[in-house]
Amino acid sequence: MLGKYQGSGRSGAFDWYFQRISGIALVIGLFAHFVVLHFLTDPPLTYAKVMARLSSPIWKTFDIAFLIFAVYHALNGFKMIIDDYVHAPTLRSLLDRNVVGGSHCFLCYGIFNHC
Amino acid sequence: MKKVVFQPKVRYRLHPGYIAWILHRVTGVLLGLYLFLHIWVIHHIAQGEESFNSVMAVVNSPFFHLLEIGLVGTVAYHAVNGLRVFFIDYGNLARRDLFRKATYVTFAVSIVLMVIGAIPMVKAVLFGH
Repeated sequence: MLGKYQGSGRSGAFDWYFQRISGIALVIGLFAHFVVLHFLTDPPLTYAKVMARLSSPIWKTFDIAFLIFAVYHALNGFKMIIDDYVHAPTLRSLLDRNVVGGSHCFLCYGIFNHC
Repeated sequence: MKKVVFQPKVRYRLHPGYIAWILHRVTGVLLGLYLFLHIWVIHHIAQGEESFNSVMAVVNSPFFHLLEIGLVGTVAYHAVNGLRVFFIDYGNLARRDLFRKATYVTFAVSIVLMVIGAIPMVKAVLFGH
């Protein structure tokens, strides 16, 4: 009953589509992230070097967008795994709702670190 | 009593596409867990210079650099295989004559990317900071 109308009861079309969109965004973003941090920044990575980059609004926008895509992609992946293996509707709905709620908390936590 | 509508297949044949799927799922879970760890480590930047540099000192040890090589491989595989899935959906990689080749190419490319990505970590282990 619960599972039919909530959580995994949605069609999931948006989740499927946006998993691909965020995936492509992450491939591009992660490549930039990796090259900048490991090839273009002299090791070791320190507070001063990270703060110098974070003071630029462009980098901050990039980082927050990257974070949103990463959290969405990861938590939606967990949701897909739950939907694959948990078939009891109430438990599935409960777990899915926890994943959705958890991802919002997690996202706020991540964005808070940029402020 | 639970009615069995159909008997599920007990085992699937381990063809390359299935191995690619298993690896994609396993690396996905690992990356999701890593994302939690990563955001927790980086959140120290909101707590000031001392806090951040002390946590970075832990992460800059040779042991973590070796783990990072595994991380690069995990990310590289998940990214390349994700692109393969994308081109199955929107390109022609589902074609019978291309599917298996594309899967092998995915494995090969991710190994190459892992080796390239490991360069900064190996340098850090060998020469320190």
